[in-house]
Amino acid sequence: MSQPKISIRGVTKTFSVRDANLGRPSQFTAVSDIDIDVRAGEFLTLVGPSGCGKSTLLDLIAGLTKPASGTILLDGEPITGPGLDRGIVFQQYALFPWRTARGNIEFGLEAKGVGRKERRARAAEFLDLVGLSGFADRYPHELSGGMRQRVAIARSLAFDPEVLLMDEPFAALDAQTRESLQEELLSIWQRTGKTVVFITHGIDEAVYLGQRVAIMTSRPGRIKEIVDIDFETREGDLRADAKFGEFRHHIWTALRDEVAAAQAHEREAVGSVG
Amino acid sequence: MADVSLDRRPAGAAAPAPAPADDPAPVAEAVVTAKARPALNPARVLRGLGSGVNRIAAIVLFLIAWEVLPRLELVDAVFLPPFSEVVVAWQELAVSGVLWNHTQASLIRSLAGFAIAIAVTIPLGLILGWYKPVADFLDPLLELFRNTAALALLPVFVLILGIGETSKISIVVYACAWPILLNTIAGVKGVDPLLIKSARSLGLPPYRLFQKVILPAAVPTVFTGIRLAGAYSILVLVAAEMVGAKAGLGFLINDAQFNFRIPDMYSGIITISVIGLVFNALLLRLERRFSTWRTTQ
Repeated sequence: MSQPKISIRGVTKTFSVRDANLGRPSQFTAVSDIDIDVRAGEFLTLVGPSGCGKSTLLDLIAGLTKPASGTILLDGEPITGPGLDRGIVFQQYALFPWRTARGNIEFGLEAKGVGRKERRARAAEFLDLVGLSGFADRYPHELSGGMRQRVAIARSLAFDPEVLLMDEPFAALDAQTRESLQEELLSIWQRTGKTVVFITHGIDEAVYLGQRVAIMTSRPGRIKEIVDIDFETREGDLRADAKFGEFRHHIWTALRDEVAAAQAHEREAVGSVG
Repeated sequence: MADVSLDRRPAGAAAPAPAPADDPAPVAEAVVTAKARPALNPARVLRGLGSGVNRIAAIVLFLIAWEVLPRLELVDAVFLPPFSEVVVAWQELAVSGVLWNHTQASLIRSLAGFAIAIAVTIPLGLILGWYKPVADFLDPLLELFRNTAALALLPVFVLILGIGETSKISIVVYACAWPILLNTIAGVKGVDPLLIKSARSLGLPPYRLFQKVILPAAVPTVFTGIRLAGAYSILVLVAAEMVGAKAGLGFLINDAQFNFRIPDMYSGIITISVIGLVFNALLLRLERRFSTWRTTQ
């Protein structure tokens, strides 16, 4: 088997937090002993109860934070920091409000040192890819939530990263916009062949998008199970497929205990504060 | 966008529609008819004119009172001459060139102090905002200085720098520095952490992050400080010019009062007001131009 695109081995991440009761710093384990490989060109979705450290794991892959222990390899090389070989799409879009849609898409290209002319051409190309050709000169506040997220996706694709890291990118959108963006994302993924790591708390979304779904446990987050989503065909209404329901139910069952555990955690935390 | 319908509502409501507050239907109807008939321009123009008149109505009333009260001898015309007499005095001062000399002296001091304050405090504020420990360390001191009225320090400035131009410009610099400095610090500190994270994820080195994210994000807040400083630059200067100056509008006002040229005194005051208004309007325009993107935040 060829080398995995991303290889995560025994990764643990702890934070120092101020304990409200003790009034002194204590250690908080966000993710613990994570082992997972992501294949080149794969679409991997990651589900887990809230607060299980999904976003922490994404930050680690992005190189925004460093693990307390364990290694993360990208193409066999340890990740030393953020870089243009990985692009992130955030739930809250994170568009620069003083830049137009085009300006936002050009941002990553500027960071890469691409010349002005080519930047403009690339921005136009990627605006077109996400269906926003006519909106190049609009500012983020002049765009709807769905359009903003399209711009954010275009921005992350434009500088041509090999890996796309997506942190619940569609969670803030209405159901209809979400579905159409899911479809678009799949078609973009198929056309560009990027490796995608997609975080969600929606089981349907995870099954619909992912080739594999990694289920995380409640805090501290570990990988509980990895489910292969092997539809015979992806044609037609996937959500109506009998197998879709089976996958859905399987993941739901696996998550149910974790969600219960997470809620118990939360109650405990609230109880100790109050 | 929402005020499109609001704009047109009075026109629609002109058709007799006594809408009770608890019945939304007539209002909705009015909006629909207004949308169906976009040719309501005359009404809108009238309304536009109306709001323009409204905006200066209070000033006009005030000036009428100023004219009428002394003439009816309800106030002493010696201390408050009718507005028309002040206008005549103002014209004489303007024609003789005296007014311009004083105005020029004041403007040069104001603008010099204002410019120096901008040049010094914006870079300083950027640095302080960026290095959080330094800002946290200095914060109590900055608060202390900010809350010390600039004019309370005027004797100190005069004591150290004399009564010449240096002390006058210095007091303007001092007064302008605080709003700009504190707003710049706040602007840098207040940048959305997600934007910083997003830029950092692209591997931007710190100085580029500063140039491409922190700086543009802070611009609107900095401009608010600049606009405040603009107002202070005139307020403080006039007071400074009342102490040991030989020219300037503050001097003119004070001197006219000493020599009982009361209409001249009011001429100076009116000139100051107009300069303040114009300066503020200019800075407001500049501020809007630089912060169009902030409309929804």
